[in-house]
Amino acid sequence: MSEFVIKSMKDLPSVHLLGAGTAMCAGCGGLQALHEVYDLLGHKTVVVNAAGCMTLLANYPYTPFRGSWLYTSMASAPAGAQGVRDALDILLEKKRLPPEENLTAVVLTGDGSAYGMGLSATSAAIERGLDFIYLCYDNEGYGNTGQQTSAATPHGARTATHAGVAGFGGEKKDLFAIWAAHRPAYVATVIGAEPLDLARKIQHAVSVKGPRLILSLAPCPTGWDYDPMDTVEIGRLAVKTGIWPLKEYRDGKVSHTRVPHPRLPVEDYLVKQGRFAHLFQPVRNDKLIAEIQARVDEYWRDVG
Amino acid sequence: MFRIRFHGRGGQGMKTAGNILGSAFFGEGFEVQDAPRYGAERRGAPLFSYVRASRTPIQERGVIDNPDLVVVADESLMMLPAAGVMQGVTADTVILINTRDAQGWQARARFPGVVLAVPAIAASPPGGTPPLQSAVCAGAAARLVGVIRRETLAQAVRLELDARGRLMLDQDLRWTLAAYDAMSAHAGCVRERVAERNGVTAAPDWIDVPQDSVRRAAPDIHATASSEQSLTGTWRSFRPVIDPGHCNRCSWICGTLCPDSAIRVDADRTPHIDYDHCKGCLVCVAVCPPHAIRAVAEGKAAACEKIAQ
Amino acid sequence: MTRALLTGNGAAAWGARLAEVDYVPAFPITPQTEIIETLAGWYASGAMQGRLTTLESEHSMITAAAAAAATGARVFTATSSQGLLYAMEMMFATPGWRAPFVLVNVSRAVATPITLEPDHTDVLAARDCGFVQIHCANAQELLDSVLIAYRVAEHPGVRVPVLVNQDGFYLSFTREPVELPSMDSVRRFLPAFAPGEVAFRASKPVSQAVAVLGGASYSYFRYELHLAVMQALVAYEEAAQAFAAEFGRRYSAVDTYRCDDAEVVFFMIGSFAAKAGDAVDRLRARGERVGLVRPRLLRPYPADAVREALRGKRAVAVIDQNLSMGFGGVLYAELAAALQGRPAMPMLCSYVGGLGGRDIRVEEFFAMAAESRNAAASGAVPATRLLYSGGELREVRKLQAIAAAERGEAGARP
Repeated sequence: MSEFVIKSMKDLPSVHLLGAGTAMCAGCGGLQALHEVYDLLGHKTVVVNAAGCMTLLANYPYTPFRGSWLYTSMASAPAGAQGVRDALDILLEKKRLPPEENLTAVVLTGDGSAYGMGLSATSAAIERGLDFIYLCYDNEGYGNTGQQTSAATPHGARTATHAGVAGFGGEKKDLFAIWAAHRPAYVATVIGAEPLDLARKIQHAVSVKGPRLILSLAPCPTGWDYDPMDTVEIGRLAVKTGIWPLKEYRDGKVSHTRVPHPRLPVEDYLVKQGRFAHLFQPVRNDKLIAEIQARVDEYWRDVG
Repeated sequence: MFRIRFHGRGGQGMKTAGNILGSAFFGEGFEVQDAPRYGAERRGAPLFSYVRASRTPIQERGVIDNPDLVVVADESLMMLPAAGVMQGVTADTVILINTRDAQGWQARARFPGVVLAVPAIAASPPGGTPPLQSAVCAGAAARLVGVIRRETLAQAVRLELDARGRLMLDQDLRWTLAAYDAMSAHAGCVRERVAERNGVTAAPDWIDVPQDSVRRAAPDIHATASSEQSLTGTWRSFRPVIDPGHCNRCSWICGTLCPDSAIRVDADRTPHIDYDHCKGCLVCVAVCPPHAIRAVAEGKAAACEKIAQ
Repeated sequence: MTRALLTGNGAAAWGARLAEVDYVPAFPITPQTEIIETLAGWYASGAMQGRLTTLESEHSMITAAAAAAATGARVFTATSSQGLLYAMEMMFATPGWRAPFVLVNVSRAVATPITLEPDHTDVLAARDCGFVQIHCANAQELLDSVLIAYRVAEHPGVRVPVLVNQDGFYLSFTREPVELPSMDSVRRFLPAFAPGEVAFRASKPVSQAVAVLGGASYSYFRYELHLAVMQALVAYEEAAQAFAAEFGRRYSAVDTYRCDDAEVVFFMIGSFAAKAGDAVDRLRARGERVGLVRPRLLRPYPADAVREALRGKRAVAVIDQNLSMGFGGVLYAELAAALQGRPAMPMLCSYVGGLGGRDIRVEEFFAMAAESRNAAASGAVPATRLLYSGGELREVRKLQAIAAAERGEAGARP
């Protein structure tokens, strides 16, 4: 990645590194974020993949990558990155690897792994100070298996395992805070629908060493039940309603890279998705909508 | 035995169509198998489901490669060899296509057997929700096999679509039965076959599997971006078309936001859509600031291309 | 060459040190800890060049080991029992990466109940995964096997991980004399790892361990893995010969002891085979023609060598230090498959014993030899015998009385 600083959309890459033709759904918000990130990270990478929708990014003999990729398992992608990074470091030290052959280790996981099964391996990799970038596409459910509730499912959302009128009764886990509590090199939330914000964060991420999380909300037409065409609009609404705060953790401090003014009612975001349809039909569930709004309000009140 | 394949795209409900027909056969006392066929593909990708129905226990399993009836919910699949619509069809197979031009397809496919069109069921009220493809396809298919009574079919629809709720269900039922009624002239044109195993088969061409070098023998891909050989453009039912006169050469909004890296931007900032890979999500249509990209139905777009040529 | 008193764990660590391994992903578990502690010390002191990284689980440890091997480093790791079971998803996944590394498993019986002493149920749970398996009976053999294991694993026609097994406590914590080969001779035997084309490099992008769809592609890759593991029979023999030429110690795929004219043989793996060897000596002293057959290689299964070793024997007492629930002994089943349909197949008698470190006493070996001989004479195949004595059951009954006391007897007392 070159030295110049991305200031506007005009500075974003116009040539795409990630190959087309993958098996991801039409309108996939995760793939959108991945290609924006990959265009900037470049091919001198090993993408270490955990089980999730993107297991099938590469499907023999087809791969979208111009760099390297290693499929591991749902629980242990950070350990795969550790093995690759350690081996590269050792080979560099022993002068068995020319520096120009060096690679950046990138973990790629969905929320099922990142928030749940892979969390122990992730926490340990951060605590060891592993020099890697961790990209999570968070579509708020076990999407690859049909959108069952995961640890990232938001309050009130209907999933394949919480299909009742109240949807999922629990709360979305705060992965950003969990990462930040480890005091890593960098943590950022992004969304494919805001490519400039995303690009600036990737630029910063590659400029530092150590554990770095890029946590992308991944609007999911299949799992969230909306027209694929609306992926960007729903992504933008997630930011404008404040339900997906764009922020980063650097040098021990959290700052918001976008503070929505005015903040739109969260209902604008919910109403566009089939997974929240039960909040509006057959009768409007004012109580639940208000509950969700109150959570968002509370968050931003604390931001100050 | 009856062997029936439903071809459609992810999201068109071919699994449901198979389930409705399966339940209808079951309701008539048949032994039944129905199953969807999954792959890596997602919404929009070609896929199929299949139904077997027999008066004796079924000694087959898996994909049907000798169908008596092939139902095609999306006529664009007819042009796609990878969709496998014509896999194993013979002159005795009936092909039921969701099209206005059954005879045209029969000519193009040079198919000697019967080709029928899925009846066009109007939305009611006009302009309302378009009829559920799975219900219409299942209704038509149920009439063609000639052994499913109207009331049995209705019962199957109630069973399979119950989760859609009372209002939807009534509508689904009307559509299914309308399709069933519309096919009365062809009732029973799909014939039940008696078992035809004659015991004479070619010997398998078994080999001793050779041990290959590690480079070949591991599931590793040394090619880069080989996914581009996968033509996901076939998933599309609508295509985005850029009007160059309206495009303001913004600065790669469509290209950046296209999830599939399927829009390339020239040095002079002119965007080009890669129709080999565009899956037709239409995100570009939604995000283009001057509304210079519109969605055109694939059939229409293909026709326009032909005229242009 | 120097001679030193080493535990099994010490010998395993020395094997890794002499192989000049670059990288040790680690996670502690009794009775394996001494191995990784020793290696950590050597990396810290500079006696070894490279790195030991402590992962947070064996599942991650095996992932990191294979990922580092796939990047071109020589990798060593070790685990035991529950750790091996916890890693099992990756034990099955990583051989298909075709990245060679060596794993020492210190056999320890598996839960439930949790315990510390050895049997082979842990390592046999990993028999189908694609690791080559070498089973050792003493500390010298363990050190030597680690070196042989790298030659086999890195063989261009093999390139799968190798598991070297030793028994917890009986070997892992037991000191015995071991000859330490010189660094120069080891380097002659085991050249530096040359990953070749299969390694992550900026100039050679590769997508590894990719999903396939459809049974034809899947079967191809699984068959290839099987053929690669089978190829290890040849690679092992090559390595064992080269090892003998360099160091003078010969490790055949199937070890035989006083077998030549034997009528009855014991058939078992691991360090408990020493007990069988002792029984053989005593029976021989009485004039009985008894021997011992001990496979060192279990995967690939050395079927030809096993058949050769058992040719002309009248009876085989197969002693399984493992228990496949609802079946019996694993070695017994595999041996029966290897001999099935062969002319003059010996009578096979199945014994399960030594679970959780339970001793197998010499009089039990005598009885097994006699029973097997009688079975061969009568032609009646005896049922699998679970080795256990009345005395042992009485001891357990005493424990049960205490365990049961809490409610029943406390309530009964005034």
